[in-house]
Amino acid sequence: MPIKVLAFAGSPRRHGNSETMLDWVLGSMVEDKDVTIEKIALSEANVHPCGGCNACEKLNKCIQRDGMDAVHDKLLAADIIILSAPIFCMGIAAQPKALIDRAQVFRSRKYVLKLPVVPPERKGKRLGVFIASAGQNWDHVFNAAVPSVKCFFHVIDVMDGDISYLMVNGVDEKGAVDKHPTARADATKLGKTVIAELKKRITP
Amino acid sequence: MTVTVLGISGSPHRHGNTETLLDSFLEGAQSAGATVEKVVLKDLDYQPCRGCNACHKTGNCIVKDDAIMLFDKILAADCIAIASPIYTMGITAELKGLIDRGQYLWARKFVLKTLFFTDEHIRRHKGFFVSTAGQNWDHVFDGAFPMITAIFNGTGFEYYDNIIANNMDEYKGIRNHPTAMKEAFEKGRNIVGIIEKISSADGASRPEKKSD
Repeated sequence: MPIKVLAFAGSPRRHGNSETMLDWVLGSMVEDKDVTIEKIALSEANVHPCGGCNACEKLNKCIQRDGMDAVHDKLLAADIIILSAPIFCMGIAAQPKALIDRAQVFRSRKYVLKLPVVPPERKGKRLGVFIASAGQNWDHVFNAAVPSVKCFFHVIDVMDGDISYLMVNGVDEKGAVDKHPTARADATKLGKTVIAELKKRITP
Repeated sequence: MTVTVLGISGSPHRHGNTETLLDSFLEGAQSAGATVEKVVLKDLDYQPCRGCNACHKTGNCIVKDDAIMLFDKILAADCIAIASPIYTMGITAELKGLIDRGQYLWARKFVLKTLFFTDEHIRRHKGFFVSTAGQNWDHVFDGAFPMITAIFNGTGFEYYDNIIANNMDEYKGIRNHPTAMKEAFEKGRNIVGIIEKISSADGASRPEKKSD
């Protein structure tokens, strides 16, 4: 049974700590022959911030024409959605926040227009992963990012209990995560766990 | 001295609930004699932070755009009011983009140690957060506070107060809120006197800095 994984490298810095962890997760998933992976670097995806116009509450689509058009369809098609992002200034970086805010079209669809986001038979068969890195080593450094990330997954019909997290603090300079004692093993394990869980969900 | 108040509107939506609330704060400040300016982020041309960390070595951002101009204005103001609606449990991407660009000030403070704000300076510089949210949850602003704290810390402002109003979806707009607009005006009016008082007391105790 094919499994579609859609992964976002949300950092403006390519191949930094959050993207490295993403690659570790994807690396453990790709070994499975059923898995197809698409990775999108947000810095190249041309997704503009939400304009706050609320037109999607009436139109059921966004009035902006940009990279989000393709991302919108891919978000619906995927079985597993992975968002990786760095924490800047105690919150998720501006570029992934723009993606999260553009999911407003799904929120309008779901809660205002009361239309399905994914077909009913796919509910509970979609999983989400949030990967984050932070330079500060405070435990609470991820606290402000998590509620926004939850909203993002909820509106695309990934339920709260179906989101996994890999959040590593105290990694700042490029390559710092390579020296982290557990990040790599945790990422590898997470990738395998999520694929196994999805298989369980989609097996008739 | 004339107190200078800078309002920063982080909403992509012109003259919506948050900007209207900010306007009320600025009108209050103006009524008390402050010099007031409002900057609308969507009209500026700036990029979000690239995370290149070049500023950790030089203390300067390699991207030269309107964000640097705005940080100069922020550093020159006595009081700033930073306004953003809540989108998806956080501030807008526009405002987050600006806050992230303040990394060069963080680098000056903590990496290069070339920037230091005295307690006196921080006490004299007051920061307000202005926000509205559609949801009626009390915790809807919680995700915004740490990032607002970050920009106030980075620019030497005391995080003085919030002017926040939730449940906009039900009120159908800030003007229908029973207290928010008046509260914003009064906080704007009152802060001018507070800053004047602190400044004159500081001036009296440090006559050599009278021209400051």
